[in-house]
Amino acid sequence: MRALDELTNIASNLVNPAVEEWKQQGKKVVGFMCTYVPEEILYAANILPVRLRAPNCVETTSADVYLSHLNCTFIRSCLEFTLEDKYKFLDGLVFTNSCDHVRRLYDILREIRPTDFPLLYLISVPHKVDDDLIAWFRDELDRFKESVEKTFGVEITDASLRNAIDVYNETRSLLRQLYDLRKGKNPPLTGAEALSVIVAGFSLPKNKYNELLRQLLAELGEREGISDYRARLMIAGSGGCDNPAYLQVMEDLGGLIVTDSLCFGSRYFCEPVEIGDDPLLSLAKAYLNRPSCPRMVDNAGERSDYIRQMVNDFNVDGVVFQRIRYCDLWGGQLLHVEKEMKESSIPMLSIDREYSLGAVGQLRTRVQAFLERIER
Amino acid sequence: MIVGGCDVGSATGKAVVMKDGEIVSYVVIPSTTKPEITARTVMEETVKKAGLTSIEDLEYIVGTGYGRLKVPFANENISEITCHARGAHWLSPTVRTVVDIGGQDCKVMSIDEKGSVLEFVMNDRCAAGTGRFFESMARVLDCGLEGISSLSVKSENPAVITSQCSVFAESEVVTLINEGIEVVDITAGVNNSVAGRLNSMVRKVGLVEDVALTGGCAKNEGLAKSLEGKLGVSVMKLPVDPQIAGAIGAALIAAEKLSKKTEAISS
Repeated sequence: MRALDELTNIASNLVNPAVEEWKQQGKKVVGFMCTYVPEEILYAANILPVRLRAPNCVETTSADVYLSHLNCTFIRSCLEFTLEDKYKFLDGLVFTNSCDHVRRLYDILREIRPTDFPLLYLISVPHKVDDDLIAWFRDELDRFKESVEKTFGVEITDASLRNAIDVYNETRSLLRQLYDLRKGKNPPLTGAEALSVIVAGFSLPKNKYNELLRQLLAELGEREGISDYRARLMIAGSGGCDNPAYLQVMEDLGGLIVTDSLCFGSRYFCEPVEIGDDPLLSLAKAYLNRPSCPRMVDNAGERSDYIRQMVNDFNVDGVVFQRIRYCDLWGGQLLHVEKEMKESSIPMLSIDREYSLGAVGQLRTRVQAFLERIER
Repeated sequence: MIVGGCDVGSATGKAVVMKDGEIVSYVVIPSTTKPEITARTVMEETVKKAGLTSIEDLEYIVGTGYGRLKVPFANENISEITCHARGAHWLSPTVRTVVDIGGQDCKVMSIDEKGSVLEFVMNDRCAAGTGRFFESMARVLDCGLEGISSLSVKSENPAVITSQCSVFAESEVVTLINEGIEVVDITAGVNNSVAGRLNSMVRKVGLVEDVALTGGCAKNEGLAKSLEGKLGVSVMKLPVDPQIAGAIGAALIAAEKLSKKTEAISS
């Protein structure tokens, strides 16, 4: 399993050899916070987009000077990494107004580290979707594109955008194929492994990532499927769920994770971008219309439907809804999901957690009790 | 068929020996810092009390509780949530909602007519509403755990304690003491604050009668009374020590597993 090993290695660190090589070639790397950032725009400028994470961040003592305990630990960990200069390899940081926690991180960086990164940008994403707002978002992406061009002295042409969309669509298609393998009775990979594959893709040039994914699919075709599990689980809820070890705790108890509705997961790749005459408009449409984060208003029902759809497609026995503490967006969504799952007789376990893996004993007790309840 | 259940909790270790569906003996001891030792000590004492010579006389053993992975002689381990539900159901088959208040967590389970868990919620992220909370209150009030129960039922004017955090609640209680509020009224306030928290947990899984309290804190009559007031229904008293409900559940599951195993062999 050479491709899987390589991807797992990449996922466990913030920086990997491909990023180092990219930097050595004198090319730029830009960190982004949220999957509402169209990475294609950066890729089209020959800039490597890397999703912000804070793997193995245990303490947030420096960040807590600026952020309170009511901010989620994902954001506090990312600020900690900034203050510890772990993001020094990045030439820019791009945020969205995805949630108030993310916004506070951006605000604080503007205050205390305004010149650390040549590009420090927040893309404003609408909270509702209609034709006018899609057109508005297209213009916002245009402003972002201009800012990238100006900061780094590059030109982003329509042709390069189209090429980037093609490469990214291929990633989306390969990841869909990977997830399809998990629909069967004996999936060839665990949930923790699948998460590693997804996470690795956020810090690799997508053309290289696509190559690795093709190898991985070939390898998995040869691999014996997993049959010794007690129940098939699905992970839903907060972003910042990027730690395979967290899923491993559940899988060690016999719950095989077969799918998810995470932005570090299926919601990232499930819809291809349809290329029209105006690539920026194509991106605006696709990014606003794909399965949403609860930052979008008035469509809690669609998000619950998405979970139900995944439950059906992947033959899921139970949903684990994890939420990083103080994630108010998913907290609100939880009310809706709980009601909907109950009505559809889909067992669900809801868990509060922190970004870093801790309180494993408590997690085990809950998951074990849940498995005892739902196992076939 | 003679089986054992061993519940290694954060504050106490509990063990039960059952023979042909009847409790033969049970023992409760304080937990040590080594769960393996707590488990062995309590199980050995229970076995002795049952008139057996050693743990090996038991045909099947299930471990449960926080230390369930550290019960070296157990055939398997089952979560305390499943065990408490099963134990409470066996003790009173009409129970549909189990409120378990242990040393360091509290949980509420809704169960079906077979004693299987339908839903559960659990608080184990802080000491609020747990045995530890009562212990620290008893210390500040210098009334002993017993006092929290026996004094509180005499109160006609319970004090109000707003903080759910045991550390802050302690400061609040100290303030009340220094304002000259009677200990009787403060103990009632302590029980009310925990009952309030349990009430919202029960509402979360859905209140279905009968409701039973298990765990060490179920012996606190003031708490039971306060919870009844908030829920608006009566809380039933279990026929044995509510602290051993989890160990009973473990023993029942042990018996079930053993008979399944025996069936499989004979068929």
